[in-house]
Formats: sequence, C-alpha cells, structure tokens
Amino acid sequence: MLKPSSRPHWATKSLSADTKTPPEGEIEMGNSKHLGLWLLAPAGVFVFLFFLAPVILTGVFGFTNMSTATGITGGAYMISDTSMRPLRSRYGENELADRLTQKVYTIDDAGLKAALEAGGDAAAIAELGDKFLDQSFDRRRGVETAIKSLSARPSTTRGIKIISAQFERSVVNVRFDSKEDLLVAISDFGIALNEGQTEALGQVAYTGWTFTTQNFKTMIELPDTSKTLINTLFYVFTTLILFNTGFALVLSITTHYMPAGPAGFFRSIWLLPRVTPPVLYVLMWKWLAWDTGFLSVVLEPMGFAPRNWMLDSPANAWTFIILINGIVGASMGMLIFSSAIKAIPQSLFHASEVDGANRGQQVWHIILPQLRWPILFITIYQTLSLLTSFEYILLATDGGPGGATEVWALSTYLKALSNYGGALQYGYGAALSLVLVIIGISVSLIYLKLFDFKNLTAPPKIE
Amino acid sequence: MRILLDKFTKSFGSLTIIDEMDLEIHDGEMIALLGGSGCGKSTTLFSICGIHKVNGGRILFGDRDVTNVTSQERNVGVVFQSFALYPHMTVEQNIGFPLKLRKETKPEIKRKVDEIAAMVHIEELLQRRPGELSGGQQQRVALARALIRRPDVLLLDEPLANLDATLRLEMRSEIRRIQQETGITAVLVTHDQVEAMSMCDRIAIMDKGQIVQITEPRDMYDNPVSDFVAGFLGSPPIAFVKGRISGGKFVEPSTATKIPLGAKIAKANDGREVKIGIRPEYFQPGSGTMISGKISFIESQGRETLYNVTLPDGTILRSIQSRRSPSKIGDEVEWGINADQILVFDQDGVRI
Ligand SMILES: Nc1ncnc2c1ncn2[C@@H]1O[C@H](COP(=O)(O)OP(=O)(O)O)[C@@H](O)[C@H]1O
Ligand SMILES: [Mg+2]
Repeated sequence: MLKPSSRPHWATKSLSADTKTPPEGEIEMGNSKHLGLWLLAPAGVFVFLFFLAPVILTGVFGFTNMSTATGITGGAYMISDTSMRPLRSRYGENELADRLTQKVYTIDDAGLKAALEAGGDAAAIAELGDKFLDQSFDRRRGVETAIKSLSARPSTTRGIKIISAQFERSVVNVRFDSKEDLLVAISDFGIALNEGQTEALGQVAYTGWTFTTQNFKTMIELPDTSKTLINTLFYVFTTLILFNTGFALVLSITTHYMPAGPAGFFRSIWLLPRVTPPVLYVLMWKWLAWDTGFLSVVLEPMGFAPRNWMLDSPANAWTFIILINGIVGASMGMLIFSSAIKAIPQSLFHASEVDGANRGQQVWHIILPQLRWPILFITIYQTLSLLTSFEYILLATDGGPGGATEVWALSTYLKALSNYGGALQYGYGAALSLVLVIIGISVSLIYLKLFDFKNLTAPPKIE
Repeated sequence: MRILLDKFTKSFGSLTIIDEMDLEIHDGEMIALLGGSGCGKSTTLFSICGIHKVNGGRILFGDRDVTNVTSQERNVGVVFQSFALYPHMTVEQNIGFPLKLRKETKPEIKRKVDEIAAMVHIEELLQRRPGELSGGQQQRVALARALIRRPDVLLLDEPLANLDATLRLEMRSEIRRIQQETGITAVLVTHDQVEAMSMCDRIAIMDKGQIVQITEPRDMYDNPVSDFVAGFLGSPPIAFVKGRISGGKFVEPSTATKIPLGAKIAKANDGREVKIGIRPEYFQPGSGTMISGKISFIESQGRETLYNVTLPDGTILRSIQSRRSPSKIGDEVEWGINADQILVFDQDGVRI
C-alpha cells in the first residue's frame, strides 16, 4: 500500500516513474506484519468512537452537574433567581442576595441620552440632568416624582414614563463573560463585597457546568432511587429466572425429547417474537391489552369492565412487561441450550437409560450438569442485557402507571435524554448509568463465583 | 440367565436391518457377535438392552418376555464402545450411579462400589474423574458400572476397539476373567475374529443381519459352513483356489496339480466346478501335494513369516512358516498342500 502523505506533493511529476520501483519501505507496508494492524484500524476507530469514548465520557460526566441549563460547553457569570437560591441556602447571604436582586434608579448620562433617543421631552431631560445627576432612587416612583418637580415637566403621564423608564439599573440577568466583569459591575452597582462574599458569588453565579459529587448524594437522598432499584432487580431477576433461563431450559429440554420434525417446528415458533420488529411486537401487545382490545372484548361478557389491562394496575403492568420481555428473551437461551444438549454424546443418554434413569433423572443427572457453562453464559448475558435494555418497557408502559415500571436504564434515559420539561440532566443521567455499569459488573462477578468459574474453565475432562 | 431372541426383527424406517433372527444364549455363557462393520451387531445388542424398540419377534430373559419392557427395567449392564462414562462424575459416582437411581443407601452403595472396584482393580482411582484416566482404566470403570447391579446379562459393544494393542491384550483376558468370576451371561460384539475366538465360549458370526453360523471357536475355524465364515476366521486368511473335481481328485487348472479328496466328497461331486480353501499353515515346504508358483510377497511377522505364492493364472496361495526360508520375491517354489485339511465349497460358497 502506498502511503500518499509520505510523498511530498511536489513529487507528483515523478510519480509514474516511481510506481515501477517504489522505495523499499513502502513495499513492506503492503505485505508485512503491519497489514493486520491496518485492517484492524477501522474496527479500532469504531470501538473508540462508539464504545470507549462514550464509556469514558459517561464516567467523566457523572461527576459534573451538566444539564440543559449549564450547556455542555463553558458558561457565563450571572445574578439570577437560580443563582441567588444557593447563595441564601448554602451561604446564608440573605441580605446580599436581596441587594443584588434589587433594582436601582440612577440619573446618569447614559440614562439621559437613552431618554432623548426614546423620544422624551428634550427640555425636561436637560433640566433633570442639571438638577438630579448622579442621584439614586430605590423605586421608579422616586424618579417620576423628581420629573414631576421639574419646571419643564412633560404634560402627560406617558411623557413622564418614557423618561423614567431609562434609568432602571440592575445586575440581575446580565451575562458576564468573566468573574472580574461581574465584580466590576457589582461594585459599579454600589455594593461592596468582602472576601467570603466574592468567593461565594463566584460559585453560585457561574452558569456553566462544574465538577461535583452532588449527583451521587442526590441519588442517595431521592426516594425514587431505591424504588427504581427495587423495580430493576425485580424486573431483571423475575424475567431471567422465569423466562430467559427457566423457560428456555424447559423449551430446549422438551424439544430434545421430541422427534426432530416437531422439535424444529416448535423451536421456530418460539423464535418468531425475536425476529418481529420490537415496535410492532409491542404494538401487538398493546392491541391485546387496551380498552377496546382483544382482552377487553373477550372479558367483557364475563363481567369485567373494559379497561387498559396493561396500565390498569402496577401488577398488571409488570405481568405484561415480564411476558413481553421473557417471550422474546427465551429464544436465545433455547437456541444455546438446545445446541449444547445436542453436543452431549448420544451414548451418555443410552448409558443412563440402561443404568435405570428415567427422563427426570436424565435431565437432572446428565443434561443439567453438562449445561453449566451455557447456563452461566446465558445468565450473565441476559442479566446484562436486561439491566441495560429498556426499549420494550419504553414502548409498552413508558415506566407507568405512575412510575411503577420505571427501571434504572429507563430512568437514566428519561433524566438524561428525554424529558417532557426539556430540562435534561446530563450529569445526573451519566451518574445513574455509571451506577448501572457497576451493578452489572458486580452481578457478573457474583455469578462467576456461584458457578465456580475456575472449575468450569479447567481443561476438558474427556479428550 | 438364558437370553432368547425369537424371530427378532429390527428396521429403521423402511430399511430392515435384522430380519427374523433366532439366537439362544445359554446361562453363564459368553457369546461373540462377530461380523463386519454395518452388519447389524450393535443394532442387535441395543435391541437386547432395550435402547432400540424391536419391530417384530420376541426377546426373552429367562422366561420373562422383555420385548416391550423399557431398558430402565431390563436389568442389563452395557459397556459402550466409547465407554460413555459421565464426565462430570467421579469414578465412584459413575460406578454407583445405577444404585443411586435405585435409591439404595449411601453406605450400601459405598460397600458395593468398593467391592466391584476391587474386582476390576481400580480401588485407587475412585476419586478421579473420567478425564483423568487412561483408556484401559476407563474401560475398567465402564465394566464396573455395568456389573454393579448384578445384571441378567452383560453386553459389550466393541469394548476393545478404542484401546491400543497392548491394552487390548490385557483387557481381553481381564474381561474374560471377570465374566468367569461372576458367571454372568455375556454378549460381546466385535469385528475382530481374534477377540471373538480368544474370549468367548461360542461365536455367532453375522453377515447382512443374519447369523450365518453359531458354534465354538475351534469348531468354527475347522468346520466353517461357508466360504464367508472360512474367510472371516484366521489371520492371515485362508486362500481359495478354483478348479474341478475329477476322478476323486481336485484339479487345479493352471498347473494341472491334482489334490486327493476324501472319498465321500469326491464321489458325490464328481465333475463339479468347486473351490477349495487352504489355510496358510497347511501350505508348507517339504510335504503334501506339491504345487509350484512364484513368490510374490514376503512379510515378516516376527516369529513367523508370511509368503504369498502366485499360481500361473494369478490365484494366490498363502503360507505361514515359522522358520525363515532363503527364498526371495520372484523365486519359483514348489511347496506342498496338506490334502487332509482342505475345505471344499461349491460355487455359491456353501461347504461341501
Ligand atoms: N439409528 C439408526 N438409524 C438408521 N439406520 C441405522 C441406525 N443405526 C444403525 N443403522 C444402520 O443399521 C446398519 C447396522 O448398523 P450397526 O448395527 O451399527 O452395525 P455394526 O454391526 O457395525 O454394529 C447400518 O447399515 C447402519 O447404517
Ligand atoms: Mg457397531
């Protein structure tokens, strides 16, 4: 492979002569040991872009307070209701906060000029400047009283208001690019700050994101968190035990004892939900469950009022969520377990039959011990995939009714990426996903321990 | 226990593998089912132990008709070709498995396992897993597991096929010793005539799902009912020569050699086209009816040497000699056939 960048562009003229006898170093590129690395490079880029980078960023974001309000780039300094709240609560600077949010009316040159431009009476403005320059008033009414006291005062109230409006001075809701600009403006505003107040103001007035461990404190404090955690564990382990491994085992073992034809047919049927597009699959469940759907129609004559069966109660919602996920999830275990059972030598089944084992004993003493590896694999794989995937819940109940089926991954998604209010908490969401990653890794390690991983990976017992 | 197959028939789909086979195995006897690959030996064995359902006929254990009894309830011990030990169980658990399934108590199982382990000499291996055993040891474990229930019949499917040559010799006598010690009725499936001859009381030789002949090893060797049986037994194998019976003698056409035959056979078949079988040990230098040919192949088998002698028409005679003669390949030799020991078959291969 020729590396274009290694050739200066002014050398193009000699290119044709060059290609016949490329420099040795470049030939080597094409057929040397580096080729493998070159071929891997695109995969490396993808791994970095879509796996490593997001993981690292999530880790970093989890320790910030990023949100729609802070943006993800740097911020500005601003006195606002939002920034004054922590000044009062965290620093106890109530008086300072009051003063900073006050409006002040000062007769100055800028105000006089603006009044002229706004179309105020020129004579009145000139007189106001002469008599009251540099005087301040707490209220607009003060300014207006002053204007009314003038000999050249405007004849209409509107004329007075046009002028008075130009002298309002405030540091509230003004964006300053740096802390220094803010401090200058505050001292211009007539407020002197001591060192502690300067420090505190710098903290609270900053509108950009900062590093913080607040997310994790919030997580522990919010009662929602433990509810979501319990929901998640319930959802993951119920689906896993009942369907992803339990039902998958039942399917693979029963089909093992069936004649080949019906067994294949049966397995294909259980694969169908897997190959149905998730949106359509969930839509079918919704049709089944909603108030004019199949269930309602069938149950109405039996005295059950039509209703949305899926969202009717938390118990119903969970039943549907677990069925929806489990019926899709069982197929993978079924395939893995079936092929693992097929790999057991036929002679072991014959031997156990002759030894007197009935089917149940065969399953217990021969099949299950040989399935330890696949069961471990499926359990870990499905635990992780149940922990992280929330698409079926999002489509089916969206966490409802009333957050009853909101699991950790869904909650993260809602907080960080999709929120009706539009106030997205990137930092908090990242912190939530970080916790999810830690839960996933811990659970996997526990499984490895439970299944006696070292023994499983020991050299094969029969060569 | 006596085992009886009565018009036993087995087919897979439309393909009939065994058609109306009759076989009686005497109590305490060890019988060999001998035959080439694919002739239906394993099928017969699997039907006796109940893994295969039969399509016709009856199978009797003693007086009990077990034709429709499941293998779990037949009380048979089987040693499979691949040994089929349970890889996740220790040797002790493997051997005790049939008893565990019968819910015998732990001490009882332990006692019986120790007893049988001592018999097959694997006492020190009880805590190992099958993967940590040599082929011969696995074989012993498989035997112990098959025997622990004191089965009515012990079935062995090519038990020595997966062992190397020295182990095969050792296990041949071991299996026979254990069978005789326990006095159990046993069926040995094998394609190896040496195994069948050395280990069993009787041999049932099979061809294409049929039992061709059933008798004691020596008798089968000396009096085969057909050229198939004669050809199957003996190593190096018997040589066949075609010719005609004329004037009380067999005439080999290409050398015009005349070999005297027994009076009865000669008289009854005068003028008939036949073939004779000559075993290598009955074609030797120095005595008998001389026939000449060219040495075409010499193979030293250690103690003995095998010579192929080709007659002018291409027919090959074999000679096994304990002393090495100075002959080389290509030499013309004249060696003698022991006329008393030749076997005569008609053109269809049936013994005359
Ligand atoms: N389960 C089966 N299904 C169909 N054909 C079978 C089956 N088992 C054996 N056969 C056929 O039956 C014939 C005899 O097989 P087998 O008894 O195993 O021969 P062997 O004498 O070598 O043990 C073979 O042609 C084999 O292909
Ligand atoms: Mg076989």
